[in-house]
Amino acid sequence: MEFAAVVIIFINILLAVNLAVGTTPIMVWWERRVSGFMQGRSGPNRAHIGGIRLGGLVQSVADMIKLAFKEDFIPAFIKHKMFFIMAPVIMFICSFLTVGVIPFADRLVIDGVTYTMQALPIDLGILWFLAFAGLSVYGIVLGGYASTSKFGILSSIRAIAQVISYEASMGLAIISMLIVYGSVNLSDIAEYQGGLLFGFIPAWGIIMQPLAALIFIVAAFAETNRAPFDLAEGESELVAGYHTEYSAMRFGLFQVSEFAAMSAASALIVTMFFGGYQVPWLNTQALQENINIVLFAMMIILPATIYFFTQWIKKNNTWVDENDPRAKESKILIKIFKGIAIAVVVILALLLLFGLGTNGTNIATAMIQVSTFLLKFFLINFFFVWIRWTLLRFRYDQLQLLGWKVLLPLALLNIVITATYVLVLGA
Amino acid sequence: MIDIFFILFAILAIGGAITMITAEEPMYATLGLLISILSVGGFFALLNASFLFMVQIIVYAGAVLTLFLFLLMFLNIKKEDLPHEPKKYMLITLGAVLMIPINMLIFKALSTLPNIDMVLVESDFGTIKALGMQLYTEWLLPFELISVLLLVALIGVIVLAKQKSKKEIKQ
Repeated sequence: MEFAAVVIIFINILLAVNLAVGTTPIMVWWERRVSGFMQGRSGPNRAHIGGIRLGGLVQSVADMIKLAFKEDFIPAFIKHKMFFIMAPVIMFICSFLTVGVIPFADRLVIDGVTYTMQALPIDLGILWFLAFAGLSVYGIVLGGYASTSKFGILSSIRAIAQVISYEASMGLAIISMLIVYGSVNLSDIAEYQGGLLFGFIPAWGIIMQPLAALIFIVAAFAETNRAPFDLAEGESELVAGYHTEYSAMRFGLFQVSEFAAMSAASALIVTMFFGGYQVPWLNTQALQENINIVLFAMMIILPATIYFFTQWIKKNNTWVDENDPRAKESKILIKIFKGIAIAVVVILALLLLFGLGTNGTNIATAMIQVSTFLLKFFLINFFFVWIRWTLLRFRYDQLQLLGWKVLLPLALLNIVITATYVLVLGA
Repeated sequence: MIDIFFILFAILAIGGAITMITAEEPMYATLGLLISILSVGGFFALLNASFLFMVQIIVYAGAVLTLFLFLLMFLNIKKEDLPHEPKKYMLITLGAVLMIPINMLIFKALSTLPNIDMVLVESDFGTIKALGMQLYTEWLLPFELISVLLLVALIGVIVLAKQKSKKEIKQ
């Protein structure tokens, strides 16, 4: 195998692993800070390594280390020890594999060879997501069953009923998208969204199919067991549901797989409805043709953003006690950010001076697209957190009514309308 | 490579089926069936039938068996609730012996197959697009008839369930 192929495959797998697992501490941190912001308190901001707090991110690293080194404990009354051990692993693997089919950038051409920017080079796309989203419920079921407690069993029953009823609407919403895109391959879907609608609107899924987008996003919340659909772990009724009896890293695995499922869902929402890796109004070809202008724009925008960010740090990141190491954090961070800004400007200027070859243009385009994808991905993840701290949890019967009596008929109606439109206009 | 995977999936499929028949706990039986179904999905994947592979996982493993598990847990069926079966293994052996003539027939049919190279006919054989084109052009009528049949079954289930609940209310 060639060197370029090895590097590209390695980068893709690294991206997929980091999106699925590596984002967990960041998501835990966001969840705490956003909830703090919404409830008018500050959230975690004390823990530090040599004075560096990173706005509380160090706290979730500390929590992670604590979970990993805690004693692994299995209660004596657990009859099915094998199920008890397997459950978090099944859930983790299923959530983890879903990210594999997400394209992070357009097909990359290096020395005439085309590489797909996916961790798993298969074209099953959306079906792969559906399959593993359906399988991940076995983790919850086995965990709840093996816990040998009423809370666990009740939460498993709720999780199954919820996943089955929302999978139907989700599949139907996907079908209406497939009628538009004409392919199940996520790379094709993202490529389609690089076009323009009526000549000036980006042809994103959410603009062409707002109803399908709404149904899919609601169903994705239910599939990932996130609030307002987190009935499986409703604290007020079921203690902690299926992970009541779990502790240490087994509980940690449940937690990680919950965030991995959330990441997979938001990566899929980005790819299906928000243009994937496409920069709005600049598809791959346009990017490659105008790469110098884009790099020049980045050379101005990035340092400006960093300037405003450092001003924000100076104003908000303070510590009262002068002698505490945490008081110096702002200065250190500002220096680091200024260094990054200078490095970015120098590298971009050098690239502009000496010009990019064909390979260089392609790689730069891919890097811009991966950054765009990551930006959209984190925005959708923020949306997940935002919803969790805004909406109240549904009651169980309300959840079933919403699934079967509202979302399912709407999804069917949407399919009929889309199919008629496509058939009549021949689009 | 493919042979190794075939043997692995075959062992898992047969092992899962045996577990399903012999397991005392209903939960183990269901999970045995799940492993068997997933291995059959693996066979489809080995044959390049990627659509059938995905549908096997989505429909059977993702929906049908989760419904089984849902019922098991909803009714809370345990080993003690099941009828006592002292002659279980003898009956299973009897069933296996009764199946021998059919197995012999299959073996005979397989051994008379012409010895040709078993490669895939086309590279897009069994992929989603090829399958869809076949279904919606050449086999449109049978496909639609099957969907009408499924619809009839669906409506039948709803009618039966509704009738029963009405009678119960009158009592």
